[in-house]
Amino acid sequence: MPEELTTALPELNPVIHGKLRLALLSLLSSVEEAEFTWLRAKTGSTDGNLGAQLLKLEEAGYIAVEKKFVQRKPQSLYRITEVGRAALTEYVQALKQLLGGAIGA
Amino acid sequence: MTDMTERQELQDRLSLIEQMMAEGRQTTSSWGWVFVLWGIAYYISIAWSALGHSAVAWPVTMIAASIITAVASSRSRSGQPGTTAGRAMSAIWIGVGVSMFILLLSAGIKGRMDAQTFIAVVAAMLGSANAASGILLKWRAQFLCALVWWATAVVSCFGSEAQSQIAGMTALFLCQIVFGVYMMVLEARERKGQAGKTSGAHA
Repeated sequence: MPEELTTALPELNPVIHGKLRLALLSLLSSVEEAEFTWLRAKTGSTDGNLGAQLLKLEEAGYIAVEKKFVQRKPQSLYRITEVGRAALTEYVQALKQLLGGAIGA
Repeated sequence: MTDMTERQELQDRLSLIEQMMAEGRQTTSSWGWVFVLWGIAYYISIAWSALGHSAVAWPVTMIAASIITAVASSRSRSGQPGTTAGRAMSAIWIGVGVSMFILLLSAGIKGRMDAQTFIAVVAAMLGSANAASGILLKWRAQFLCALVWWATAVVSCFGSEAQSQIAGMTALFLCQIVFGVYMMVLEARERKGQAGKTSGAHA
């Protein structure tokens, strides 16, 4: 993940800017809720990395997790929160503004 | 040069958002087999009825097909996220399916429906479901199926019994079997394509 880009462009939310976190938030914004395994398959990420990035998003209040047992197997269901949806919208707007500025420069 | 690199990075982020949102919205379950299954179920019912057991043939085949659909689709959907579009599609097909079952079973038991009216009602209802589904998915091929079903409903009302049966069998073949197989081919291609691009979101 290019962290130097985050420091060069402080307008962009650093929690969302990480490539995997951005992918996760985008995926969750288009579904009602999703299982850990589905997110892993869609992003092609490892369990450890995925868990760590999901935890960061959860700590920021952008996603909520519900853990339950289905047929005695643990299941983690993730969904985007209103705060997360608003943050993603702001991030996209900031991206478009920056790209617009770059085109104009 | 740095500006160009940063701009490319930003553009990549925007593309990633669009790609991930599109993947999330896609109905990830496979439904082509359901069309083929119901096409075969209708053919079995018709053949069984032709042997003189129509009172038993239709309810038994329809109930069996419903059970197979419910069990197999709940298994294939496990682990897949729910989407608003997916729920809308389920609502259309469950609504039409239950309506058809109740109406046709009741009318069949009371003997209030002749063969032509039966074909016209089935064709009109399947036309409605395919049209709603086709409009929702912006899928012309499915809307074409709706047109075929509606044409069958009209032929059943104005044509002879033989013409009505030929139209019904043709629509069944085109809109259930051929369309179902076409869907299965598209789904297989989509799965193959998705398997090749999962590495794009690695941190």
